Formats: sequence, C-alpha cells, structure tokens
Amino acid sequence: MSDLLLDAQQLVKRFGPRTAVDGVSFTLRRGEAVGLLGPNGAGKTTTISMLSGLLLPDGGEVRLGGQPITGDTDPRKRLLGLVPQELALYEELTARDNLEFFGALYDLAGAALATAAESALKFVGLAERRGDKVKTFSGGMKRRLNLAVALLHDPQLLLLDEPTVGVDPQSRNAIFDNVEELRRRGKTILYTTHYMEEVERLCDRVIIMDHGRIVADDTLSGLKQRRTSADRVFCELVEVRDGSWLAGLEGIAGISRAELAGTRLTLHVTDLHGGLGRALEHLRRVDVVVASVESQSPSLEDIFLELTGRSLRDG
Amino acid sequence: MRQLLALIRLDLKLFLCDRRALIMLFIVPIGLASFMGSVFSNSGGKSSVGGGMGILLVDQDVSAVSRGVVDAFANDPTFRVTVTNEAAARDMVLNGKRPLAVVLPAGFGADALPGLFDTNRKPVITLLHDPSRSMERSMVEGMLVPKVIQAVAQNGLSADLGRDFIRRGLTNLDRATQVGARDQQLYRSMMERADEFLATRTNRSLFGSAKGPTTGSPAKEFNLPLPFVTKAEALVKNTKSEYNGYAHAFAGMSLQFVLMSLLESSVGLLRERESGMFRRLRAAPLSRGTLLLAKGLSYAIIGLLSLGGCFAFAMVVFGVRINGSWPGFILCLVLTSLMSAALGLALAALGRTPAGTRGIGIAVVLLLLMVGGAWVPTFILPRWLQSAALVTPTRWALDSLDAMTWRGLGFDAALAPAGVMLGFIALFATITWLRFRWTAE
Ligand SMILES: Nc1ncnc2c1ncn2[C@@H]1O[C@H](COP(=O)(O)OP(=O)(O)O)[C@@H](O)[C@H]1O
Ligand SMILES: [Mg+2]
Repeated sequence: MSDLLLDAQQLVKRFGPRTAVDGVSFTLRRGEAVGLLGPNGAGKTTTISMLSGLLLPDGGEVRLGGQPITGDTDPRKRLLGLVPQELALYEELTARDNLEFFGALYDLAGAALATAAESALKFVGLAERRGDKVKTFSGGMKRRLNLAVALLHDPQLLLLDEPTVGVDPQSRNAIFDNVEELRRRGKTILYTTHYMEEVERLCDRVIIMDHGRIVADDTLSGLKQRRTSADRVFCELVEVRDGSWLAGLEGIAGISRAELAGTRLTLHVTDLHGGLGRALEHLRRVDVVVASVESQSPSLEDIFLELTGRSLRDG
Repeated sequence: MRQLLALIRLDLKLFLCDRRALIMLFIVPIGLASFMGSVFSNSGGKSSVGGGMGILLVDQDVSAVSRGVVDAFANDPTFRVTVTNEAAARDMVLNGKRPLAVVLPAGFGADALPGLFDTNRKPVITLLHDPSRSMERSMVEGMLVPKVIQAVAQNGLSADLGRDFIRRGLTNLDRATQVGARDQQLYRSMMERADEFLATRTNRSLFGSAKGPTTGSPAKEFNLPLPFVTKAEALVKNTKSEYNGYAHAFAGMSLQFVLMSLLESSVGLLRERESGMFRRLRAAPLSRGTLLLAKGLSYAIIGLLSLGGCFAFAMVVFGVRINGSWPGFILCLVLTSLMSAALGLALAALGRTPAGTRGIGIAVVLLLLMVGGAWVPTFILPRWLQSAALVTPTRWALDSLDAMTWRGLGFDAALAPAGVMLGFIALFATITWLRFRWTAE
C-alpha cells in the first residue's frame, strides 16, 4: 500500500470572475496531521470541497488512494470524513437520530449502525445526552456532535474545516483533545483553524494559503528556520534622554529595524550573532545603558503575518 | 435503498417535529373546509356570474311553445345554452360537465295552456341537476316561470287555440255526468261568452303585442296559475349517493395546504443546500437522484397523510362518503400527493434560490388553485380560463376526488384524471431532474 493517501494537483476553482482556488497542489501521507491556515476568503473551504468531491475543480485533479473520485456515489468517498465549517445537524432531532441518519447514508444499518453511533457519542463525551434534541445543546456540544457525525463510518482521512470556531475555551479544549486522540489512532488529518497554538500542538506540517494559492508548505521547524522572518530582541534601557542614536542602529548590518517605546527598545535582528553584538557595541558608544536583553524567535503568527500581510484573526 | 429509506424517514421525523407544518396541513385545512363546506351545503351556494352559466336544454316536444322556451333561454345572456337529447344531457350532468339540464317533455306545447286551468293536465318539466350545484338549480327554476309564460303567451295562447280549447271543453262537458245540470248550464254560458270574445280577436295574440318581450314577472302581472310543474331529479351515479358540500371543500382546502406546505419544504430544501447540511450529504456516497427521489417520496407521503387525514375527518364528522370506487379514490389521492410533491421540487429547480422559489411558487400555486377550482367553482370564471383549467393538474386532481366521493363514479372514471396526473408528474420530475442543482453557485 502506498504511503500517499491524498494527492491534489493544480486545483483551480472559479466562481464567476473570481478565482477562489488558483493552482493548489499538495499531498497528504497516511497518518500525517497537516494544518491548513489562511485568512478568511483564502480558499480553504473551497479546497476542502474539491478534495471531498463536493465541487468539481475547473482545473487539476484530486487522487484519493491513488485514484480520482468519480461521481457522487464513488465508494472511495468512504475514506473521507468531512466536518463542515457550518454546523450541519438537524436541530429538531436527538443526537442519536442525527448520527443514525448520517450513518445510514454510509450504508450502516442495524447493530453496526447502533455501535458506531454509540461509540461516536462516547468519543465526544455526549453519551449522556444521546436522547436529547440538538436544539437543547450548547454551541460547544453541537460542535462536538458535528465532529462525531464525521467519525461514524470510521474514515481514514478527516477533513476538519474550522472545527473549533466560535466555541468556549473549554469545549475547544475538549474538541482539540478528540482530534489529538484521532491522530494518535493513526487517522490522517487536514486541520483548518484560526488558532495557531492548535496547529503548533497538533500538526507536523503547515500549509499556508492566501488568495487561492499556497504560500508555504513546510514542517513547523522548517518554517521557523526559513529566516525570512527576523528574531526580535527586546532591550530594557536604564535611561533615555533622546532618540537621536536610533537611526544609527538601523544602519548596522544584521539589524533590519529598531523601535523605541519608553525605555523598551525592540530590535529586529536578522543575524543574531554579528548583528546583535554590533548593535550593543553601538549603544555603548552613545552612552545608552542596557539593563537587560531578551530575545524571541518568530512565532507561527509572525511567519503568517509576514507571508500574507494579514493577521490570522482579523480576516 | 438504505439511503433512500433513511432520507425518507428523516423527512417524516422532521415533519412530525414541526408543529407549524402539522397545523398547516391538518388543523387549518380542516377548519377552513368545515367552514366552506357548511356555507356551501346550507345555501347550496355557488353563485353564477361572469362567463354565463352553461345549461342543457332537451326539447322533446319541438312545438312552437317549446322552441319559444329554448329561445328565451338562449337569448338570455345569463345562460349559455346547449340543446341536446336526454341521454347526452344525463351523461353530462352526471359527470359534472354541466350543472343542470331542463327537459321539456313531448306534448309540452299542447298541455301548457290547459295546464293553466287544469291542475291534472299540467306538463312536467324535469330538471336534471348536479346536486352540488343547487344555486344554479334554483336560479333556472325561477327563470322557467317567466320564460314559459312568455313562450305560451307568444305561441300558445292565441285566440284560435283558445277557441279550440273551449270547443273541446264543451264537448267534454256534454259527456260529463257527475256535474249538476245547473252548474253545467252556468259553465256552458261562461264558455260561450268567452268564445264570442275570442271570435273578435282572431289571429291576434291574447295578451299584449305578439313579439313584445315579457317585462317583469308575467306570472304576477296576470296573476295566472303556473302552466306547468317541475320535477327535480338530482343526478348521481350511485343511488346511495347524496351530494355532500364538505367533500369538495375538503378536497380543495387540503390540496391547497398540501401545495403550500410542499412549496415551503422545497424552499427549505434550497436553504439546506446553501448550508453545511448539503456539504455533509454530498460528502457521503449519495447520488443526486437518490436524494431527489427521497425528497419527492417523503413530500408525497406527507401530502398523502394530510389529504387522507382531512378526508378521514370529513368522513367522521361531516358524513362525507366515498360513493364511488375506493381503489379509484386511493389512486387519486396517491397521484394527487405525488403530483404536488413533484410540483414542489420542480418549482425549487426552476426558482433556484429560496427567495426566487417562494416568489414563483406562491404565484404558480395560487393560480393553479384558483383556476383549478379549489376556491370557487370553475364555471364562474371567464370561458377561456375554464379551458385553461383543463391544463392545470389541480383541476384534474379535484375533479377526480369529486368523482370518487360524492359523485359516486366508478374506477373507470378515475383513469382519465389519473393518466393526466401521471403526465404532470412525469413533466415535473423531468424538470426537476434537468434543472435541480446540487450546489448553490
Ligand atoms: N459558492 C460560492 N460562490 C461564489 N463565491 C464563492 C463561493 N464559495 C466561496 N466563494 C468565494 O471564494 C473565495 C474563497 O472562499 P472560501 O474557500 O470559503 O475561503 P475560506 O474558507 O478560506 O475562508 C471567497 O472569496 C469566497 O467569497
Ligand atoms: Mg472557510
């Protein structure tokens, strides 16, 4: 069996004049957990729709287990579990009825269906509420049930489209724990989220999308080692009389930017060894006394900001 | 198959949870139909205005007097007269094509005049009528009096005829034995005076000018007794049959709410398509055909439950009976439900968006209900609209239900409407198949 589970090549999707996805290619190996990041409108949901056969790409191809998905009833679709971005549950039905309905769409029936529904309920911690109507659930509980529905037919690949969006931190943690558990069980996961810390905790690899294109596809450490982004060094100064020396700092090789706020000096250092030494030397020469120095490597958030020019959450 | 059943079960469950839908499909139509049924039953009340009331005249006499009656009706813009024979008239009334037929019997012209004076010799005009159309019946019955009097006055009550009548009367008097001699003499002298009077008016009409139209109510003006009697005969196929105004009201109202409700379901389907629900359905190995078939069937089942429930209520509470064929009735109910479901889906396919579908849908459904006769009888509509009604599925649905309930027609009467409804189902299904999109783009 090939190691490659999903292979997307040159996917293109247009909605009228707008190209929502513009030449997206990536692969998922079995057992891999990959984060899909991007600001709102980047094309993440559209990409996931094409991966799961909901939308026909205008260009390119998706192969699942080596074969393209052909037609609505392709049995290959059973390999996929989709957790849609919007809640997709029947509010008037009980949790159990919802699960049994969606299970039947995957041809589960009888005892197999009952077992699958029950274990999915247990997995997301809703076993006690199985007989309650979904409309009586909190937002977090609905999100958990939304996840459970995708697990019924025991898919190999989970496509999670912002599964923790808009829920309280406690539910978020519960859902996130579930996803981590699924990962431990060997599921392949494509995880879309707005929360960096989730990606940092969960994923081996991160794909960053913007304007319908992939702008980065790398492991977390690989991304951080790219050094496209500068380290930041914070210097606490003893006394600041004037800032005339500040411009001189930015002329030093290895320092890209210097900002002063009160007694706090922030240096963007592209060359930590030489650059920082030269900067401290410069400060000593202009009689600025440094009380403490603290350095910080770029976060995923910083990398994201640099790659897309947008912060993740302001859309 | 499992998917299909799961989808249908889902819709039924959701339907049973939906209090608003339950009210729309059971309580409201039952309430409205009970009200309309009571209105129509008591006053017999479908009024006739507009396109002219289509009636049948059967002239078995072919005399000047009977022709006069026919002409009088034909010249009256209130009526649209078709002259035919009795068998054809019975058939048309029985099948609801015309509300009634007036049968002028042989000898009508000859007996009309003596009928004025002799209660035993009055000719009997038979009114063959559709029991659901009692308003038309009373209207025609009322109009018969002036029209017959007018015809008799113009064609029958001439002086010559009067003298002939007197001669025959005197001959009869000679043979009469029970009449006392004094009475005989008085009667004879009265008749002879009358004969003398008539002799001076030879070849002239007795009352007024020969061709003048009758004004007002001659029966009152001359204070004449009526020259005829009428016999009403309600035509229903089955002798047990009796018109029940609730039958039609319940058919119309329940169909109305089924159509409205299924339109709403179709709008809901489109809304679901815009939501994550369809993404989930589509992520499953489910075909568009299975989904549409399941929707069609579950809508039809809901429609059938509503129609059946309303009729059951009407049977228990208002004594509506299936006087025709039960299998025919069931067939018509099932096809009506399927037709309504397919119509809802076709509207969703054509309307594309929820708002668009609601807009087009309400217009189409209301038009079909009105033209199809769910609210008012079709005969009050202009004639071109009446013809248009024949291409509405609602008209065929309602006619078939009428036929199987109070009209008491047999299974064969259900076949034509069933065929037409099947045609409409096929048409709507094809539209849905060709135009319904999985994705809202
Ligand atoms: N059904 C659609 N019709 C028209 N435009 C769409 C549709 N779905 C998505 N888009 C557009 O495509 C772009 C990508 O959307 P989406 O994939 O939902 O982004 P994301 O999930 O990353 O927020 C957006 O500009 C969005 O407006
Ligand atoms: Mg999205």
